[in-house]
Amino acid sequence: MLTTTLPTWAQETAFKKHYLNQTEVGIMLGRVKADPYAQQGGSGQEIIQNRTNLTLQMLNGIQYSSRLGVGIITGIDWYNSALINPIGAGLRYDLAGKKTTRLYASADAGYGFTWFHDDAEGYDTKGGLMLNPGLGLRIGKPEGAAFTLAFSYKHQEATVEKPPLWDQSSRTEDRNYNRFLVRLGVAF
Amino acid sequence: METMLRTAGILLIALSVWSCNDNCTETRVRRNMTPVTISLLEVRKDLRTEAPRALEHPGKIYVRDKYLFINEVAEGLHIIDNSDPANPRSVAFVKIPGNGDMAVRGNILYADSYSDLVALDITDPKNPKEVSRVEEVFRSGQFDGGTWNYNPSIRAINAQKVTFVTETIQTNCEDNPTPNWGWGWNSVFAMADASFFRSANTSSAAPTSGGGGGDGQGGSMARFALYDKYLYTVGQNELNLFDVSTPTKPAFFSTVQLGWGIETIFPYKDKLFIGSTTGMHIYDNSNPAKPERLSIFQHGRACDPVVVHDDVAYVTIRTGTFCGGTQNQLDLVDIRDLNRPQLIKSYQMQNPHGLGIDFPTLYLCEGEHGLKVFDAKDPFNVDSHLLSHFQKMDAYDVIPLGKTLMMIGKDGLYQFDASDSKNLRQLSKIPVGSPAI
Repeated sequence: MLTTTLPTWAQETAFKKHYLNQTEVGIMLGRVKADPYAQQGGSGQEIIQNRTNLTLQMLNGIQYSSRLGVGIITGIDWYNSALINPIGAGLRYDLAGKKTTRLYASADAGYGFTWFHDDAEGYDTKGGLMLNPGLGLRIGKPEGAAFTLAFSYKHQEATVEKPPLWDQSSRTEDRNYNRFLVRLGVAF
Repeated sequence: METMLRTAGILLIALSVWSCNDNCTETRVRRNMTPVTISLLEVRKDLRTEAPRALEHPGKIYVRDKYLFINEVAEGLHIIDNSDPANPRSVAFVKIPGNGDMAVRGNILYADSYSDLVALDITDPKNPKEVSRVEEVFRSGQFDGGTWNYNPSIRAINAQKVTFVTETIQTNCEDNPTPNWGWGWNSVFAMADASFFRSANTSSAAPTSGGGGGDGQGGSMARFALYDKYLYTVGQNELNLFDVSTPTKPAFFSTVQLGWGIETIFPYKDKLFIGSTTGMHIYDNSNPAKPERLSIFQHGRACDPVVVHDDVAYVTIRTGTFCGGTQNQLDLVDIRDLNRPQLIKSYQMQNPHGLGIDFPTLYLCEGEHGLKVFDAKDPFNVDSHLLSHFQKMDAYDVIPLGKTLMMIGKDGLYQFDASDSKNLRQLSKIPVGSPAI
């Protein structure tokens, strides 16, 4: 135990910038409240449904200081009716904790594209702004690989052009996905 | 350290509770229909010539020699002197209540005015004169999605005035991409039952005619066509024939039942090609007084004008208001055997409306996606021979006139120099809203 912890203490003074990778897989949890008959004029009764979707994300960058890591994030989010691949900038900053278990803050922002989304005929889905701040735990030696467990909030915008119904001349949906994310990952 | 952890913990809880709800709204522009009743006396009294005015809501177009006629949906006709396509000049506006279609033979212009067919003498285009009228022949029609019906008991038109309203609804963020079947079908059936609609804004002017000297030319969306000594007009369910052997005295001749959903008519040689919401009907017109059905080329339900060159028919299918359907495509159909038309190939398009063929050049209107020009020499490779694509204009229907090309869209009337089909050059535009000079 001692042999493993002591050298890490010693390394704090001699920090060297190095490549940083964090690869995460997780779920995006959300709810939605809507009137199922809104399309037909509304029934006045809203129903609430759960939304659970899969997310993958990878950050590639540099560990800039012993606390700060920055990089480019790329990901892919399987929303129920949109497949969005966000690309943006990511930031990891250690807030507190012992060297082997640290609490860090993350801030990711970028644009969600729909490159891999296949639209139904007549529909046109476009992505939009993505914001993803959160907190995480990093368990592992600072200079080696570590496991991460992250909790974050993700805001993703999208718009969908839809074919007009019979009495309409245009129809557009503005989507704001607001999700609570739980992700597990590895970082090195 | 402990404070930090505590703060972090609180933050985390706040995060997880804070509004993790998907929030989606759908904004749509909807037609709002207000019922109005217009007496036939009023309709007939209101036909008059006025000073030229700006295009507001252009519908179909029709060309006759150096004159160009642009329909103002449900209101009348703009008459344009087009002797110089680079500099078209507005001559007059003829107010014709309930007008959607027109055709010209010699100096006589035929136009619909709700239930009536009107013949106007346009010898002096500045001052067209009504010469005759076939009263109460059309039963129903449609403008802009608003329908009208002839009410014989009070001799009036029950119409719907259309205004557009924007509304926003909350959605569940995943409205199934199952299109409007429920709605579309019901509404179309409802309309079919009520024997609705004739000329929509989904339609523009009338095709090249075979016989009869001095006929004008319309687009692929036309519902009026001249052939031999007859004027053909298609309604929602039927084909009406008017005898125009005396051009100034059109006479109602007969009606041919077609089945519902009829949209456009295109006479080619001695055949009639009729576009409907369910397919293309081919009629033998060797006896112009009595067209006979040869076959129907069926496809999914959608709007679809048709144009023909030799043995190939070009049919567009599009989704959109009142058309239903989920396809946007161009079909090439082999019509060597008119009794048994056969699909050559389907091409995916964006939102095809009217089209025109000046073989081998095919002009295709893509609605808000603009105008596409194809070389259609090889029927199996039309899509790989896109000559040009004009974007940033709305394209609804075209009339190829050999050296020039006329195109109408929601934003105005465009004219192109088409002498080199590979290199179309815009000559002029009469924009919507600003008065034509």
